Amino acid sequence: MAKQILRCTVNGEPVEVLVQPYVTLLDALREDMGLTGPKEGCGTGDCGACTVHVDGKVVASCLMLAMQARGRTIRTIEGLASADSTLHPLQDAFVRHGVPQCGFCIPGVLMAAAALLEENPRPSEEEIRYGIAGNLCRCTGYTKMVTAISEAAGTLASQRSAR
Amino acid sequence: MRRFDLVLPNSLEDCLKILAERGAQAKLVAGGTDLLPQMKNGVLKPAVVVDLSGIARVRQVQNGNGLRIGAAVTARELELSPALRGAYLAIAESAAMVGSLQVRNLATVGGNLCNAAPSADMAPPLVALEAHAVIAGPKGERRVPMADFFTGVRQTVLAPNEMLIELIVPPPGAHSGGQYLRHTPRRELDIAVVGVASQLTMSDGRCTKARIALASVAPTPVRATAAERSLEGQPVTPDAIERAATLAIEAAKPISDQRGSVEFRKHLVRVLTRRTLTTALARASA
Amino acid sequence: MSTMKTTRDVKGVGVSIPRPDGPEKVTGRVQYVADIQPKGLLHAKLLRSPHAHAKIVSIDVSAAKALPGVRAVLTAKDIPHLKKKAPTRAHAVLAIDRAVFMGQPVAAVAADELSIAEEALDLIKVEYQVLPASIDPLKSMQPGAPPVADAGTEADTSEALAHSAVAIAKSAAPAKAVNISQQARLQRGDPAKGFAESDHVLEKTYRVPMVHQGYLEAHAVLAEWDRNGLLTLWASTQGSFNTRSEVADVLGIPENRIRVIPVECGGGFGGKIRALCEPITAVLAQVTKRPVRYVMTRREELQAGMPAPQVIIKLKTGVKRDGTLMALDAETIIDSGAFSGAVLAVSAVFLGSMYKWPSFDIRGFEVLTHKPSVAAYRAPVAPQTIFAIESHMEQIARDLDLDSVEFRMRHLIQEGDPMVNGQPWQSNGAKQVLARIAEHPHWKSRKQWAAAAGKNGRRRGVGLALGGWLGGLQPTGATVRLNPDGSLAVLTGQVDIAGTNISLAQIAASAYGVDTDLVRITTGDTDVAPMTGLSAGSKTIYTVGAAVLQAAEDARRQTFEIAAAELEASVHDLELTDGKITVRGMPDKGITLATIGKKGNLYMSKTPPVLGKANPAFTQQAPGFAAQLARLEVDPDTGEVTIQDFVTVQDVGKAINPLGVEGQMQGGAVQSLGIALTEGLMFDDSGRLTNPSLLDYRKLTAADLPNLETIIVEVPSPAGPFGARGVGEPPIIPAPAAIANAIQNATGARLTELPLSPERIALALANGKH
Repeated sequence: MAKQILRCTVNGEPVEVLVQPYVTLLDALREDMGLTGPKEGCGTGDCGACTVHVDGKVVASCLMLAMQARGRTIRTIEGLASADSTLHPLQDAFVRHGVPQCGFCIPGVLMAAAALLEENPRPSEEEIRYGIAGNLCRCTGYTKMVTAISEAAGTLASQRSAR
Repeated sequence: MRRFDLVLPNSLEDCLKILAERGAQAKLVAGGTDLLPQMKNGVLKPAVVVDLSGIARVRQVQNGNGLRIGAAVTARELELSPALRGAYLAIAESAAMVGSLQVRNLATVGGNLCNAAPSADMAPPLVALEAHAVIAGPKGERRVPMADFFTGVRQTVLAPNEMLIELIVPPPGAHSGGQYLRHTPRRELDIAVVGVASQLTMSDGRCTKARIALASVAPTPVRATAAERSLEGQPVTPDAIERAATLAIEAAKPISDQRGSVEFRKHLVRVLTRRTLTTALARASA
Repeated sequence: MSTMKTTRDVKGVGVSIPRPDGPEKVTGRVQYVADIQPKGLLHAKLLRSPHAHAKIVSIDVSAAKALPGVRAVLTAKDIPHLKKKAPTRAHAVLAIDRAVFMGQPVAAVAADELSIAEEALDLIKVEYQVLPASIDPLKSMQPGAPPVADAGTEADTSEALAHSAVAIAKSAAPAKAVNISQQARLQRGDPAKGFAESDHVLEKTYRVPMVHQGYLEAHAVLAEWDRNGLLTLWASTQGSFNTRSEVADVLGIPENRIRVIPVECGGGFGGKIRALCEPITAVLAQVTKRPVRYVMTRREELQAGMPAPQVIIKLKTGVKRDGTLMALDAETIIDSGAFSGAVLAVSAVFLGSMYKWPSFDIRGFEVLTHKPSVAAYRAPVAPQTIFAIESHMEQIARDLDLDSVEFRMRHLIQEGDPMVNGQPWQSNGAKQVLARIAEHPHWKSRKQWAAAAGKNGRRRGVGLALGGWLGGLQPTGATVRLNPDGSLAVLTGQVDIAGTNISLAQIAASAYGVDTDLVRITTGDTDVAPMTGLSAGSKTIYTVGAAVLQAAEDARRQTFEIAAAELEASVHDLELTDGKITVRGMPDKGITLATIGKKGNLYMSKTPPVLGKANPAFTQQAPGFAAQLARLEVDPDTGEVTIQDFVTVQDVGKAINPLGVEGQMQGGAVQSLGIALTEGLMFDDSGRLTNPSLLDYRKLTAADLPNLETIIVEVPSPAGPFGARGVGEPPIIPAPAAIANAIQNATGARLTELPLSPERIALALANGKH
């Protein structure tokens, strides 16, 4: 059971890291790459706290073996803000609307919301609710999240039209 | 998770070779969404895990005189696939109900079927559409009707040295429509208490073929054959639908568990059969 | 509150200010216990009993110890000071000779990798002799039931004290049955006569299953010992001082040998008050001389966490035809699992205290069963109790054709009315929130709305309920320092989970007289912070806020005294504006806070550094009431409920930070709706949990809910900072009754067992009861 070499792209950077064959992508990100933003809330794909993007799609990284990410492009919460560390409009809206309480679900929710807005730039309230339905939150009741995501969609749209 | 060897074959041939050597102690992983929770809970402790993500052949959907769906196509791809419209819509509907988005981007149709949970959402529409499983093994490929694929709870016809590679869905003919519905207490992130797929093919106002398949009411997905027979050759009136919905209960042999009682499951078979037949009729007639 | 006035309003109390650590939380930079990776870290796993009740005949750990990578394998034998008759779960570190619930730890492993630790568990051979188990609390109450606790074990009432400060006399009668661990009885007047004179007698039994607090971060702890024998615990806890005391008590080491660092807590809701896995992790770290981290899996959390108790309430009421209350007979049975510790008093008191019953007989029993023992969950036992009362009151109003709000209002308590334990109700906004929700357009239009057809034959209903919480108290401390640049540093031991620190900063800012952005709050560990109470019981702002307020006032007083000396003026002639203290009417004669701050830190300076402190204890509770209203649709065939609108009206006394208050109200409402609709731990007859995953333990998702409306009512509390009351608990209380009442409004079915699942609703309707 020797370690294997995982080559992939993480948050825009090419990565080469030795991982045990039996670890999940979540474990490899957290323990081997120091990216502890994605969280383990259940380990069985039922809570969304471990949500990351793989090739632009949201996945439960607790259910993917690390080696299954070979050659693929991964984005975690650490890669959501821009390189100069300006917050993504979603992150900014979450802060201003006072969304985070305990904060444990937040990285996963933000990654789900970011993927949603990339696929559907102006989602309805219902589409937002289904877009984050794979992410359990115990603190907020979701209302402020939905408001913040809706507002960030507007911000992103006006940023696009300004360009 | 307990430790295991991980093998990463790049072709079907390599994969079958590994299965021939170590199949009895191996598990195939595609999406991992059913396998990994069972490994984490210690229900499964395979010595070898074989990853299918390097095998291109099992990842394609082809449309033309029927459908060919690779076993490692994800639920999300099926949900969005333009090939799964019209008469095949029930498959896309069932795929759209699996887990959450984060799970559907990983979960595959082959995994859903090979895991062989009684609640597997993608089984009933494939049974109702009379799909065949294409199974590869040391002696080549064989085809098994979907209705015969499952042999018990978490059991299939697959031998340890075999793998499911593809599903073939025959063209259901003109004027065919279907629907898959399931009941869950939550709208997302849930598992079927009961699932029902109905597929109706109509001609001159009469039903020429009816297929009704049920999930979560028996050790395997089951067809409600008495209900099907009651519809075939007849106009599909509201009364006929109600009669079929009542007959469908006969096919259900559910257990009471944490997700629902025998009484509630039988009740749901009737409600969901009624609803899916009504929609299937409208879709077939559209 | 502040005795000295500033000349302008500071940006402080009453303003919605986002929490300053928000950017850390949205970028994933905040560290929780599982994110900390010290060098040489070992991973712990626990072997847990597969039986609800079994004698442990023998344990063979030799094969596990021989597995390469395993650094320690422990059983109870290896921890000599473990004793039988453990009074709490924390004390039962590992089962000694008997396992009393499925999932109880029996052995512990520390290994280089988690995978190796798991394999080691597989190699431990335990021989069990399975014993008959008491699973159902009603059966467990009977004489002759299989006993849960070792004979002579004391009941644990510390949770009740921590949470509610509800005092009731313990029943003098000794428990007859072996598994009844606490009893209470409250009586007044002559209920028999009251029932005899009643026109309407209603008797129902209400049932609520065990529910889990559901925090997203499972229990986690990291333990390390230094060479001097000092233990450091990085803990996910709601109270670091509480964790320190419990661990010291369990391990028999002095508190000054333990330092608890409260790491960011990924939710607690009452479930992270009591110690759980901290003691065994500390022992593993001691034995291995390495840092050891233990993180519970979600499955372990659900199977062997510390959920809220199962509650069964039998209610019988007698009223006159005109709605006059006559008599109440109530019995509340609380299934506490394998260890005592439920807050029996809350249920007993709330059963009879919200409405003015002239006569009552209320009996309460805490019963032990072979199931995981319970702990607090946000307003412990209040949602369960209010579900019974508020369902019952609605049914009475319906039976007698009375307006349900008027009926409640007529009998609702107000300040000074006696509770069933004889204590007077403190000032509260019960009537105000009920009146406010009755004015809501959704309530006023309920008949028209319910009469209109729902989509696809769904039936519509509107319902409301009222609930309250007495408010917790705990002594606490805080300090406020003036920095050399004129900013303020506030130190408490308060664990900030929901964003309370920004509210504390607002309180300090308003009390001292600066803007909030000049105040930084630090949560210190147990070595550095003043003793601070739990983040629990809706008391952070009420008590820690009061301490911060007093400490800030103390700091201001000191600052003004220094300024008065410097300016050669009377303290009473000074005012603080924009960071500068001036003599009133002489704007040029002044000294800045920065100057005063600097003087406190200058070599050879004679000016003392400003250090405000306060360490208050409290006696006066501030009850908080909330009313909730639901408009919903029911699919009569499948029993599916769609909530269209949900309104929470809550008296918060004073909203220190309305943004945070709304977040509490919305989050509490959704937890309450989960209890109402989908949640419940389900045990089979053998004591096995049948739904140990978040797929089958159904917390509500965003797709199951509408946007939640919040209406803040402010009835100032006499003693709270700026009139504030506790905010956390009230919004989790009324929803189950409000939903049950709305479902009855929609379908005619009165359901008395939670959760109000599609199955219960559909079968009630299908079986023609309605």
